[in-house]
Amino acid sequence: MKTFMYSLLAVALFSCSDMSDRSAFTGEVQKSNTPPVGTLSSESIYQLTDTFQTQDNKSVTLSAFAGKPTVVAMIFTHCTYACPRLTTDIKNVESKLKDEEGKVNFLLVSFDAARDLPDTLKRYARDAGLGENWTLLHGDEEAVRTLSVLLNVQFAKDAEGNFSHSNIISVLDKNGVLNFQKEGLGIDPAEISKVVKQLIQ
Amino acid sequence: MKYLLTTLIITIFFGHVNAQKKAVISEKKMVAIPAGKYKPFFITKSDKPLQVTAFKMDETAVTNLEYLEFVKANPQWRKSKANRLFADTNYLKYWESDLIIGEANKDLYNSPVVYVSWFAAQAYSKWKNKKLPTVAEWEFAANAAPKNIKYKSLTDYILDWYSKPNPPHLPNVKSTYQNVYGLYDMHGLIWEWTSNFNSFIGSSDSRGNSEADLKNFCAGGAVNVGDKTDYASFLRYSFRGSLKGNYCIANLGFRCAKDLK
Repeated sequence: MKTFMYSLLAVALFSCSDMSDRSAFTGEVQKSNTPPVGTLSSESIYQLTDTFQTQDNKSVTLSAFAGKPTVVAMIFTHCTYACPRLTTDIKNVESKLKDEEGKVNFLLVSFDAARDLPDTLKRYARDAGLGENWTLLHGDEEAVRTLSVLLNVQFAKDAEGNFSHSNIISVLDKNGVLNFQKEGLGIDPAEISKVVKQLIQ
Repeated sequence: MKYLLTTLIITIFFGHVNAQKKAVISEKKMVAIPAGKYKPFFITKSDKPLQVTAFKMDETAVTNLEYLEFVKANPQWRKSKANRLFADTNYLKYWESDLIIGEANKDLYNSPVVYVSWFAAQAYSKWKNKKLPTVAEWEFAANAAPKNIKYKSLTDYILDWYSKPNPPHLPNVKSTYQNVYGLYDMHGLIWEWTSNFNSFIGSSDSRGNSEADLKNFCAGGAVNVGDKTDYASFLRYSFRGSLKGNYCIANLGFRCAKDLK
């Protein structure tokens, strides 16, 4: 009888604590919302746990870019006006950083979850002559939206599947903390390359 | 000893029941929103209305009591724990503590939770296995006519609300009007987060002086002075455009939506 009572007591206690902390329900949430355990700064964009695919069809999280400063912009490959210019602007930054080759990541993330699959991104990278320090990422709509919110990039998809968007080049430090942003097209690459150089040191 | 144990068990058992009674919040009712066409306030390049497919939406905004359940289950979203990248320092600033809304806020238990960020609203929605509505879904649903109040026009109703100072306490949900879809308080109580609040509405940068931006501007410029409908929308769109994902501010809450499967 006593054993029975103790069991009952245990059950009662357990169900109480279970109620107040319904951790069983949080598995999925934690997967997508909890910062990964580690030493990332609380300001780091690399805390996002969404998975992206590279132009080589490799699955990565943004934390894969930790360790080097990263120059990042959001684009879509069907874009005929702004995005090619944005890509060129970053290439100009790259050419100012010849001495720092291999110490900087260049990253383009596509708005276009539907059409910019890894193959398309790979072709875009080849056609635009983007070297091995460049990564192009495809992500699902939610991952892309979340990143756009963190990078202060506004975008909207129109009825034809194209995007209007702001043109912003961001510089993240080695830990993924947003360090510098430049809005507009045809920007002066020297300003960004200077920031990157400082971040390398 | 046995007596003591029995008492203990009974106490725990009933304590449990009582706690549960207090904590149980009836599952939120969702109402069906039919498919339709929605014309963005700022005309996009293609100039075509967006098709909104049928979906479901919470009949009211998420309340403080409902949000409390979320933070109980998700410690990383308690006010002392929330990451500043995802929620600024005003996050839940009126709550007494992590798990206590507080005596001072006892009139707010069934009022919309406010001072919550977009990331928090997204996480809550996901926890509920729901989502935030898109701008198109929200606007489409909110344009429906009120059914239980006398009003001259929805626009006048909205502008009237905009022009009033905040009440000392945010009223409870269902305290304004219900629209023909069955949604409460789409206007008149709070502003609400949408999943794509950061949609491009044109600015001084970017496509710059291109035709697309000019068109955006033209759409705005086409608001004629007599047309208050566009004025109310303009304020709403401008407000959304001014937000960042970690902003936590007064009068900004959310409700969830769900795709029909």
